[in-house]
Amino acid sequence: MAATEGIKQHQSTWSPYDNNGGTCIAIAGANYCVIAADTRMSTGYSILTRDYSKICNLADKCVMASSGFQADVKALQKNLSARHLHNKQMSCPAMAQLLSNTLYYKRFFPYYSFNVLGGLDNEGKGCVFTYDAVGSYERVGYGAQGTGGTLMMPVLDNQLKSPSPLLLPAQDATTPLLESEAVDLVKDVFASAAERDIYTGDGLEIVVVNAEGVKREFLELRRD
Amino acid sequence: MSIFEYNGSALVAMVGKNCFAIASDRRLGVQLQTIATDFQRIFKIHDKLYVGLSGLATDVLTLHQRFAFRHKLYQLREERNMRPETFASLVSALLYEKRELAKDFVVAGTAAESLYGACESMYKPDMEPEELFETISQALLSSIDRDCLSGWGGHVYVVSPNQVIERTLKGRMD
Repeated sequence: MAATEGIKQHQSTWSPYDNNGGTCIAIAGANYCVIAADTRMSTGYSILTRDYSKICNLADKCVMASSGFQADVKALQKNLSARHLHNKQMSCPAMAQLLSNTLYYKRFFPYYSFNVLGGLDNEGKGCVFTYDAVGSYERVGYGAQGTGGTLMMPVLDNQLKSPSPLLLPAQDATTPLLESEAVDLVKDVFASAAERDIYTGDGLEIVVVNAEGVKREFLELRRD
Repeated sequence: MSIFEYNGSALVAMVGKNCFAIASDRRLGVQLQTIATDFQRIFKIHDKLYVGLSGLATDVLTLHQRFAFRHKLYQLREERNMRPETFASLVSALLYEKRELAKDFVVAGTAAESLYGACESMYKPDMEPEELFETISQALLSSIDRDCLSGWGGHVYVVSPNQVIERTLKGRMD
């Protein structure tokens, strides 16, 4: 009894996960899709780097943006990019299902990765899929994930006013905005989020997928 | 569950050109149950000073009573109304916490994060009362629609040098 008195309980303080912060969004248009993410990578209250890309091209017309634990994001991106099945490029809805399955495969030790997938569907219309960490997904008109997600979603709701997915007959969730207007909206919401979210800032990477292909734009955000 | 999330609330105030606006949601809940849909969180201290209180509802009422009491004593002694800066010091003293006066907007409540995003995007300086009303209403409604614990519409007060307009907003009633 005397021997056990001095033994202290050691609580485990090591976690296999870390949150590297940042925000990702995607907006689906009639014939385009805009995917954007900030380029700051943080840990705790420190900045690891100001120009880290959270966006990955998974297929010809399919782009994924992920926030969360970037080591898991990198592993997930490698896992998905390696799939070149049936000698043809995977369509965006097919890749969406694959991503869901890949995430659920690790249901009991998840990828700490909050994803938005964007691209063009088989008819050339914009599509966005939003995920949780274990693969639950839904096709939506727009989505935001990450530390600044809660700041951006109300503004996107206000500007894009997507109809409820529960309505019958099913209504088109893509926004009637022009591509340039959608890109301007993305720039505005990131500027706002960078003001109030400490993990969002430094730079903004915008990828636009349309019939002509994939183009990338980069601009500066607040560095504080 | 945090004590600040027990009742649910959303509060926002904005500065305009020679005017200000203050708005809140109207829900009073007990965790996930809604108890009242007309709960007042904004109180008038005097014609040019309104205070909005978020968080635990019982403390909202208690603090309102204490502020009203202290202000009435001040009026008796000083024979005038308290200035906002003075009132801010009173709030600081009662809460043991330093409050700064904001130049643009202030948010509070369970919907605070959403409100930060919405206000930051929609706010611009020196808005006239009508435009200020539109802006604060849109920011409030968009934000409370993304918060389960706030809702059932909104109360907006727009205060100008000569008049106060009080309006009730109808939003998603959930």
